Amino acid sequence: MKPLLRGVCVTAAVLGGAFQVSAADLVVAMPNWPSGQASANIIKAALEKSLEVKVDVQEMGTMIAFTGLDTGTVDVYPEVWQPNFDQLIQKFSTERGTVHLSSRNVAATQGLCVTQKTYDDFGIHDVADLKDPAKAKVFDTDGDGKGEMWIGARGWLSTDVERIRAKSYGYADTMTLLEMPEEVAMSAVDAAAATDKPIIFYCYSPHHVFELHQVKQLSEPPFDAAKWNIVLQADDPMWLSKSDAPVAWKPSSFSVAYATSLSKRLPQVAKLLDNIDFTADEVTAMSYAIEVERQDPAKYAEQWVASHEDRVKAWLQ
Amino acid sequence: MTGIMRLGGRLRRAVALSVAVGLGTTLAFADQTQIFDPKTHKWVNYDRKKARQYYAAHGQVPDAFRRQVVDFRTAEKPGTIIIDGNQHFLYLVLPGLKAVRYGIGVGRDGFGWAGIVRVGRMAEWPTWTPPAEMVARDPNAVKFAGGMPGGPDNPLGARALYLYQGDQDTIYRIHGTPEPWTIGLDVSSGCIRMNNDDIVDLYSQVQVGAKVVVLMQGAALYKGV
Repeated sequence: MKPLLRGVCVTAAVLGGAFQVSAADLVVAMPNWPSGQASANIIKAALEKSLEVKVDVQEMGTMIAFTGLDTGTVDVYPEVWQPNFDQLIQKFSTERGTVHLSSRNVAATQGLCVTQKTYDDFGIHDVADLKDPAKAKVFDTDGDGKGEMWIGARGWLSTDVERIRAKSYGYADTMTLLEMPEEVAMSAVDAAAATDKPIIFYCYSPHHVFELHQVKQLSEPPFDAAKWNIVLQADDPMWLSKSDAPVAWKPSSFSVAYATSLSKRLPQVAKLLDNIDFTADEVTAMSYAIEVERQDPAKYAEQWVASHEDRVKAWLQ
Repeated sequence: MTGIMRLGGRLRRAVALSVAVGLGTTLAFADQTQIFDPKTHKWVNYDRKKARQYYAAHGQVPDAFRRQVVDFRTAEKPGTIIIDGNQHFLYLVLPGLKAVRYGIGVGRDGFGWAGIVRVGRMAEWPTWTPPAEMVARDPNAVKFAGGMPGGPDNPLGARALYLYQGDQDTIYRIHGTPEPWTIGLDVSSGCIRMNNDDIVDLYSQVQVGAKVVVLMQGAALYKGV
């Protein structure tokens, strides 16, 4: 899902081609992460099979999709992450009322993960362990005495938050914080797991890495709104010094969003979308099928709908 | 537990190795790769001198750096190359969550880069042209200023894969070497070197366009990412 608040740079880059003229009855915006690709195509397959509407799937980021939902060029977006996109939800759902969010959601997590081997053999169990220079040194790969850790891709808003958390917890002093594309980070996890080498990285679930490797999320103090003071880089050049967040992420979730106008225009479609009830395990399986097994999202979706007929029928009730 | 480690300024542990080395027990070198001797259950240095001795005695590099198929669970598709300079391994992803693992030599100062590139060009017995600064400082390089023809003494060895970012040559290559004992060490001038048998094997299995992931750990960080 690459949830995480994929950033302004990325979304701006696709702006030019985002809105294509479509002859379809509905446009489903598709995120570029695996579970989003699967769920967008499952929505298309379910709607076309059950309600005989023609659905077009178009890839675009969350921010562009919300603009499309607002203006009418997009009808559905399958994975809106919270709290990551709370500001968009506030603007388009609460204030403008043009975007409806399903009340059903999939529970998700964000935090720091290690491989089981790292957890068992090196005693890294809690985020606070990283403040211990001796423990942080376990992750040192360039000989400077500090460990290295991936905190996300450049452009993800969550990467800013992870940098703030590192400063707030104090491990920014003992760890070098790396920003790299997710594929590079995941390949590093693959290589570490293959050789029993310790590694720590920013993680989110549902995600296929939990299926691919034995991974443990580090414990940390629970989310506390009073301690979660985040100023984003895009909003203030002094964002890092003004921010503080020495606690876990707020419990995360994602849900289906659709244009509010659908409720009147195509109420059966709106009902089906409101009833979609993917589980976290199902979303992980989708991610694994698309990213690891390299199944085509459209074909995977057709098979999923064919093998879950009763489920799709229940969504229509 | 077996592994490779670096000492002196750097402390790096890599790999599960099973190296039946018999390298002796006297450790006189620091700041070099170490390998685990299962006979003595001690870490032993693996530096230029030891590497030469090992190669002279065995005619090949230690087990860990020899070509082998390993379990490798990854989401990358078969045909992708993943380079772990920290552990001196290059993986060629195979179907079925496997990979061919090759030993590599990397730069004295690391790569200075990490990220995703692709194989933009491939060559058999490539010509090597020394950089201008090498020609300026090394009289032996002057005669090759216009290019050294491919052959057994050519520093690029039997094959070269030229790494591109988009349509731009990054100047980095994965190439062979006339000095196979250097595999597992940090000795080259920034490229990724493999012994000639291995680069020929790799060359036969990849095509122009293959994705290459250079991990951000270790060698890629010496100069900062």
